[in-house]
Amino acid sequence: MPLPQDDQAEATMVASAPEVSFHDLLVAALPALRQQALALTRNRADADDLVQTSVSSALAAQTSFQPGTNFGAWMARILRNRFLSNMRRRREIVDIEDAPASLLARSGGQEEGLAIQQLRHLIGKLPADHRLVLIMISVQGLSYEEASEQLDVPVGTLKCRVSRARAMLRRWLLGEDEAPKPRVAAPKPRARASVPSHALSALPAAPVMAKLGREKAGAQLERR
Amino acid sequence: MSKPGSPPKRARKAPSDKAFDLWLDQGLHAMFDEVAKEPIPEELLKLIEQDRNNK
Repeated sequence: MPLPQDDQAEATMVASAPEVSFHDLLVAALPALRQQALALTRNRADADDLVQTSVSSALAAQTSFQPGTNFGAWMARILRNRFLSNMRRRREIVDIEDAPASLLARSGGQEEGLAIQQLRHLIGKLPADHRLVLIMISVQGLSYEEASEQLDVPVGTLKCRVSRARAMLRRWLLGEDEAPKPRVAAPKPRARASVPSHALSALPAAPVMAKLGREKAGAQLERR
Repeated sequence: MSKPGSPPKRARKAPSDKAFDLWLDQGLHAMFDEVAKEPIPEELLKLIEQDRNNK
């Protein structure tokens, strides 16, 4: 009897699985795992340790991985569980929330802008789960659905975390107030943006932002 | 165009928001791309290869 279409597709995936061994999948997953580990730990040495222990765990548990299923998701869960387990063990010993920026990740050298250094520091202040999903979406280019599968967290929750993480970074970097601004009669000409100019000028993106602001102001003048 | 006093439409981001998002994405890539491009530590590869050879 012929297999239903879905079963045929699954059978094909399982049949082709031996071509890529478990160990090949593991090696291929390492770059993404290292990024995720750095996002979680904020520290290169700790990230390397986390990847190493996660790989050891994966090797020990390799029989529990079902070929044809999502290997990235399986590894991401191991990595996150190891991280949470390590954090529980270390919570009373080290408070890395207050670690100086110089200890967070590796600096890009003297050419690295002050704003990037500041960003590096502030990324470390985000909650770990916000930081991880921000990196998975913005750096690794995963869709929310893929990240949801990897982290076993609903898509809506992930979208909320990314949005909140971006808002927090924006507020910290640009010095914007958290409380909504009182609605008052708009002065003329209206403020171009709610971004203090001194804060913008400190960012590498300042020329872009300034240009966008000028264009917007020009458009407003033309309308009058 | 919205009437004076009416709440602004939320669908469109202000140019400064877009510029910040763009800058943030570039900053995140600058910070996290490096680690993914670096060679995998030898000891980690050895660990995997040892396990592969033992199978």
